[in-house]
Amino acid sequence: MSELLALQLPFAFEHPQWLWLCLLVPVLVWLSRRSLAGLDPVRRGLALLLRSLVIVILAICLAQIVYVRENDKLTVLFLMDRSDSVPDEKQILQESFIAEASKACPRHDRVGVIDFARHAYVQQPPYEGGYYLEVGRLPRMPNPDRTDIASALRMAMAIFPADAAKRIVLITDGNDNMGDLLQEAATARAGGAVIDVVPLWYEHTNEIYFDRMVAPNLVEEGEQVPIRMVITSRRPAVGRVDLYHNGQQVLLPQEFGRVQLDAGDNVFLVRVPIRSGGPQRFEARFVPEGSRAADAIAENNSATTFSFVSGKRRALVLSMDPTYDQVFVDALRSEKVDIDLLHLTGDDATLDLLQMLNYSTVILSNVPAHMFTDEQLKMLASYVKDLGGGLVMLGGDESFGAGGWMGTPVEEVMPVTFEIKHKKVIPRGALVIIMHSCEIPRGNTYGKEVAKKSLDTISSRDYFGIIAYTWSPMGVNWAVPLGPSADKTKIKRLIDVMQIGDMPDFDSAMIEAVRQLVKTDAAQKHMIIISDGDPSPPSPATLKSMVDAKITCSTVGIGYGQHVVEPTLRNIAMATKGRFYACRNPRTLPQIFVKESQIVRRSLIDEQRFTPQVQYAFSEVLTGIRADDGVPALNGLVLTSPKPLALVPLVRMTKDGPDPVLAHWQYELGKSVAFTSGFWPRWGPEWTRWPSFAKLWAQIVRWSMRQESPANFEVYTKVEGNRGRVIVEALDKDAGYLNFLDLPGGVIKPDQSVEPLRFNQTGPGHYEASFDVDQTGQYIASVNVRHSGEDLGAIHTGASIPFSPEFRELSTNEAILRQVQETTGGRWLDDIGNPAAVDLFSHDLPPTVSRQPVWDWTLAWLLLPLFLVDVALRRLASWPAFSILFEAVLLIFLLYGVGTVHSGFWGVAGSILLAELVGWSIRYRSIGPMFASITHTVAVLGGAGQRSTTALGQLKTTRERVREERTGGGEPGSPGPEGPAPDRTARYEPGAAGPTPSTGDLHDALGGARAQPEYKEKRRPPAGLGADESKDETDDVTSRLLRAKRRARRDLDGESDEKRKD
Amino acid sequence: MGTWLHNPVQTAWARVAGSRPRPGRLLALLPLLVAGCDPPPLTPNGVIAAFGTQGMAQGAFVTPRAIAVGPDGAVYVADKTARIQRFSPQGEFETQWSMPERAAGKPVGVFVSPDQRVFVADTHYSRIMVYDRDGNKLARFGENGTGDGQFLLTTDVAMDADGYLYVSEYGGNDRITKWTPDYRFVCVLVAGEVAGRSLARPSALDIDAEQTLWVADSCNHRLLRFDLTGRLLAHFGEMGDGAGQMRFPYDVAATPDGELLVCEYANSRLQWFSPDGRSLRTWGVQGRELGQLWAPWGAAIGPEGNVYVIDTLNCRVQVIRP
Repeated sequence: MSELLALQLPFAFEHPQWLWLCLLVPVLVWLSRRSLAGLDPVRRGLALLLRSLVIVILAICLAQIVYVRENDKLTVLFLMDRSDSVPDEKQILQESFIAEASKACPRHDRVGVIDFARHAYVQQPPYEGGYYLEVGRLPRMPNPDRTDIASALRMAMAIFPADAAKRIVLITDGNDNMGDLLQEAATARAGGAVIDVVPLWYEHTNEIYFDRMVAPNLVEEGEQVPIRMVITSRRPAVGRVDLYHNGQQVLLPQEFGRVQLDAGDNVFLVRVPIRSGGPQRFEARFVPEGSRAADAIAENNSATTFSFVSGKRRALVLSMDPTYDQVFVDALRSEKVDIDLLHLTGDDATLDLLQMLNYSTVILSNVPAHMFTDEQLKMLASYVKDLGGGLVMLGGDESFGAGGWMGTPVEEVMPVTFEIKHKKVIPRGALVIIMHSCEIPRGNTYGKEVAKKSLDTISSRDYFGIIAYTWSPMGVNWAVPLGPSADKTKIKRLIDVMQIGDMPDFDSAMIEAVRQLVKTDAAQKHMIIISDGDPSPPSPATLKSMVDAKITCSTVGIGYGQHVVEPTLRNIAMATKGRFYACRNPRTLPQIFVKESQIVRRSLIDEQRFTPQVQYAFSEVLTGIRADDGVPALNGLVLTSPKPLALVPLVRMTKDGPDPVLAHWQYELGKSVAFTSGFWPRWGPEWTRWPSFAKLWAQIVRWSMRQESPANFEVYTKVEGNRGRVIVEALDKDAGYLNFLDLPGGVIKPDQSVEPLRFNQTGPGHYEASFDVDQTGQYIASVNVRHSGEDLGAIHTGASIPFSPEFRELSTNEAILRQVQETTGGRWLDDIGNPAAVDLFSHDLPPTVSRQPVWDWTLAWLLLPLFLVDVALRRLASWPAFSILFEAVLLIFLLYGVGTVHSGFWGVAGSILLAELVGWSIRYRSIGPMFASITHTVAVLGGAGQRSTTALGQLKTTRERVREERTGGGEPGSPGPEGPAPDRTARYEPGAAGPTPSTGDLHDALGGARAQPEYKEKRRPPAGLGADESKDETDDVTSRLLRAKRRARRDLDGESDEKRKD
Repeated sequence: MGTWLHNPVQTAWARVAGSRPRPGRLLALLPLLVAGCDPPPLTPNGVIAAFGTQGMAQGAFVTPRAIAVGPDGAVYVADKTARIQRFSPQGEFETQWSMPERAAGKPVGVFVSPDQRVFVADTHYSRIMVYDRDGNKLARFGENGTGDGQFLLTTDVAMDADGYLYVSEYGGNDRITKWTPDYRFVCVLVAGEVAGRSLARPSALDIDAEQTLWVADSCNHRLLRFDLTGRLLAHFGEMGDGAGQMRFPYDVAATPDGELLVCEYANSRLQWFSPDGRSLRTWGVQGRELGQLWAPWGAAIGPEGNVYVIDTLNCRVQVIRP
C-alpha cells in the first residue's frame, strides 16, 4: 500500500501500517452526510474533501513519511602517501596525477585530497568541480617517519559528504607500519566506500642497509664486549665499516677498512674493550664505495646499540664556573667519592639521559634552568622519579627560584618549593609580555606556551601581564591584565583564549605597558617583546620614558625563514638595556623566556650573613657531624619553602619562620637534596674551612646515590615491528629462580615521555613486559627489583631505533594493496603516468539514498492549516468571514513557511499581495450578490411611492384577514409551543426552496448562522408542491404569504395527528 | 549589470556562515529580476554581494590584505598565500598567479593603472612587481636599502595623470618616493616629520581627480594631502573610534564624487570624509556576518561606484552600494 501511495514520488513510510487509517475516509463521508447536512452543497463538498484530506494526512504523519532522495553524485577522495618510504620523484608524481585526473571531474561531483604519513591531513575538503590547489604548494609533511594508511582511511570516511557515492583513490607504496589497514578497509567497505588503488611502484635494487647491531646488555668493566653487526645488501658491494664507542672512533682491524658484502645478510663480529663504567654507546656506519647510485637510501646505513656496565657509583657535578666549585669537588674526592666535573659553557648543556645513567647522582651547582631545554628538564625529573637517580641542587645567584627553576619539572622532585609562602615582605618583580602575531607555523601556539612558561617561572607575588593586539575594542589590549599572578590557573585560561593579532605599531602597546608598570610597586620592571619586528618602531619619547622609569625591555625576533625586521627589535633592546634574541629555532623560545623572566626574580636572593641551625639532628646525612662544634656561618641563600614531607636538617631562623638551608627526601624511585646556600667563595668561605665539610658532603652525596643492579639478573630488550619487549631473567645468588617479584618500571622514549612497564611472570624467574615503538631514537627501560618488600636495586636496559622503518622498505608492498582493493571491490589503477586513461568519475557506483523524516513538516504545514480551514468552513457561515480566515492562514504560511519574512519589504509585500488575491477571489462569490442586493435596495427605495403604498395596503389587509381566521378557527390566548413556529419559519422562508441569489442574501453577507434545523429538511414539501413553487417568482407578495399560511396550517395539522398517534 | 551568481566557493562560504540561500529570498527577487533592475541589497546596510572563503583554492583567501579594481571593473586581491587573484566585477574567479618569491613575506599592496598594468608592492622583498592583467611579469623595480631607488617595506603604489609613480614604504625609513613612468627613481617626495609627527607606516596612497596625493599615515591615525611636489596641503584625523577619528587607517581611496573613503583596520569600518576633513558617514562594525567587517586591510571603488572591501579576518570581499 505504501508503494501505491508513494507511486513514483520520492517518499516512503517508516511505519506503513498506519496507512490503513485511510479506510476511515468512506466511513467519515457516510457519517458526514448527516452531520454536514445543514451546509449548502458547495461547502458540504468542500468540508467533506477537507476532512478526508485531514484523515489521510494524519495517517501519513503517523506512518512517518520520509523524503527519499536518490543521489547520483559522486565524491572522489584522493589519499596520497607522503611518507619517507616514497621516493621524491613519486611524491611529485602523485600530486600531478591528482590534478590531471581531476580535470575530468563533472561539475557537480566533488574532489577532496588527504595526504598522510604518521598522521593524515585534509588538504582539500570535498569541493565541487575538481582539484583547486596549485600543484607543488602542499605544506611540508610534519612526521614522515611512519605510514598510517588506516588513519587516512578513517579521515576519509569522516569527511565524505553523506549524499554522494564514495570513492577513495589510494595512492601509496603499501608500506604501512602503523594501524590496521585491512581492518580499516573493511570498515570503509561497510560504510559504502570503494577503494581504487594506485600503486606507487619502486624497487631499490642497489640497496645496502644496516639491519641490526647487537651487544650484550650487561657487561663488566675490563671485558672485551662482542658486538655483532648485520648488514643486508641487495647485491655484492664493497665498503668500509666505522665503529664509534661513546662518540670515539674505535680502531678496527685492517679488514674492516674494505669489506666485501655478498647479496643477503652479512654478519661481522668485533670485540671492543670496556674501560669505564656506566652505559656504553656503540654506533656503526657502513660507507659504500663508489658512486651514490650504489646505495639508494643513505639514511639506513647506520645502527646503534648500548650496554650497561655494572661498576662503581659515580657522581656528576654540573658547574657554570669551576673556579667556584673546585673546592667542593676536591673535598668530595678527599672522601673517596668518584666524581666528574662538567663545565657548562655556551647556551646549552649537552646532556642526555644515557649520559646521566652513567652516574648515580647529579649535582647542580648554581646552574640556571635556562641552560636546559624542556626535554632535558623532563629528563632530569625522570632521572630521579623513574630511574631512581639522585639530584642535589646547590644555591647561588642563579639557582632555585632565582635561577628560573620555578614551575619546571625539576621543582616537582625537589624537597623544597621555590615559591615563597611564609615571608611577609619580599620585593616583587613585574613582567609584561608584548605579543605580536607569530607568522611561523604554529607561531601563536608557541607564543602561548612561552607566556605560560614565563608565568610558571615567576612567583605568585610578582606582577604579570600580557599585551596583545586583539582588534577589539581598543586594538591594543591587555590579554592578561597586569596584576599579581596569584591565580596562575586563571591566568593560563586567559592565555589560552588569547587572540594574537597583527600589530601595526609597537608604540601604542609600549606606551600602555609603561603606563601600567609605573603604577606598580615592583622593584624589577621588565618587558619582553616577541615579534617579527615588522610593526612600526616606537617613538624615541616612548623609549626615553622607559629608561626614566627603569623599565628594561628584551626583544625576541621570531619568524626567521620568513622575515624578521631585526633593526627595530635591536634598537628597542639597546635603548632600554635589555637583550635581543634572534630566535632561529622556536624550540629554544622557552629557554629564552625562562632566562628573561628570571630577571624579575632577583629578589629571592638574600645576602644577609646567618648561622644555620640544626633543626633535625637525626637525619641520615648528619650522622657523625658534631653539631655542638657549631655550624659555621653562611653569607647568603636563596629563599625557598620546605615541602610537607621533606626532612629539613638545617635552617635559618627568621621572624617569619625557618628558611630551609638543607632539605632532602625520597621522591618515587630516586632521592633529591636541596642546599639553598653554596656559592662557596662568596657565601661559604667559612664552610669550606670547616673540618666536617668534606664528611658532610660525602654523606649527602652518597645518600642520594642510586642503588645499582643486583648481579644475577639477565635483562634484555627486543624490538619486533611496532612493539618492544623487555625480558627479565631473575636468579638469586645460588642460581635459583626468583619468583613473584615486584618489578615496577618504565620506558623512557626518545621524546622523554615515560611509558610504564607492566611485567607478567611467564615462567620460573622469567618476566616480560612490552611497550610501543613508534619513534626513532633511544628507548631506555629501568626496572626496580623488589622482593618481599625489600628493594634489591635497579636494572637498566634499552633499545635503539637508529632509523625510521620507512628507510627499510625496498619495494612496493603489492600484496596488501591487492587485498585492500579486493576487500572493497575497487579497481587496480596501475598507470599513474597516464591520469587521462583512468576514469575516476564514472558513475558506476550504486547511488546513495538518503531518507529525511518530513512528517513534522507535514503536520505543521499541511495538517494544521487544513484543519483550521476545515473548521472555518463549517463554523464560519459567511464566505467573506471564511475568506478572511483562509487569507490569514495563507499569509502565515507564506511568511514563515516559505521564509519570505527574511527578505525584507519585498518578501512581506509579495506574501500579502498573494494572500489578498486568494482571499478576494473567495469573497468574489459574495461580493457580486452583495452589490446586486445593494443596488436592488436602492432601486426599491428610489421607486417608493405608489408601489409601496399599494403593497402596504395589501399587507395590512392580509394581516387583518389572517388575524380573523386565527381568532375564528384557532385557540386564542394559548399560542402553545408550536404556535408561533410556523409564523417564524414563514418569515424566514421567503417562499423559495433554494437560495435566491438575485435578491441577495444579506444574512450571508453579515455572517449570521445559516444552518437550518434538521426537522425542517424532513418536512420538505413533496415534489408537486415544489413544482408549484417554481411559479412563485412571478407572484406577488400577498399570494405568497397566503400560500405560506396554508402550508403552515397543513403542517400543524399533520403534527397534531402524529401526536395523537403517539 | 549582469546577474550576481553564486560560485561554488561562495556557496561553500554561505554554508560555513550558516546562512543558506533561501528560496524565499529568491522568490522575492523574482519581480525585480524580471523588471531588469539591479538586485536589492543582501543586508539592510547595503551589501549587494560577497565572495571568497578561507583556503588555498581558487576564489578562496588566506588573510587577504590588498585589493584594487581595474578600469574594466576586474577586482585584484592579494593574500597571505602570496597569490594575486583576479575576479570579475561580480566576484567570479578569473585567474591567479603567485609572487616569484614568498618565503620572506607576502605583498600588502596592489594598484592597477588605467592601462591595466598591475603593480604589486612586494613588501618583504623591498620592491614593486609589475604585471599585465593576466599575471605576465612586465617589470620590477627597487631593492633593499634606505638610499635613492631603494625601499625597506613597500606598501602601496599610486600613479598621477602623467604616468609618474608614487611608492610608500615603512620599517624605519617611512617615506614616499616618486618614480618615472619607466620605473626610474625621481626623488623622495615626503619623508620624516610632517605636521609635527614623523610619518609612521604610510600604508596607502591615492591620487584624486584634482591630482593631489592622499596618504594614509596609519600609525599616526591621520590622512595627509600633498600636491605632487610634496607640499603638504592638509592633514586631519586623530586616534579614536568617533566620527572624524580613525584607528589605523590602512587604505584610502578617492571616490568619483570627490569624497575620500578610508578603511580603518582597528575600528573594522569604512569612513567617508569630505576633502576638508569632515566625516560624512561610517559603515560597518566588527563581526562575522554580512555587513560586518573584521580587521579590513583595504577597500577599492569600482567603475560603477560599488565599494569592494576586503574583510581580512573573515577571508572574503564584500561589495557595497553605499
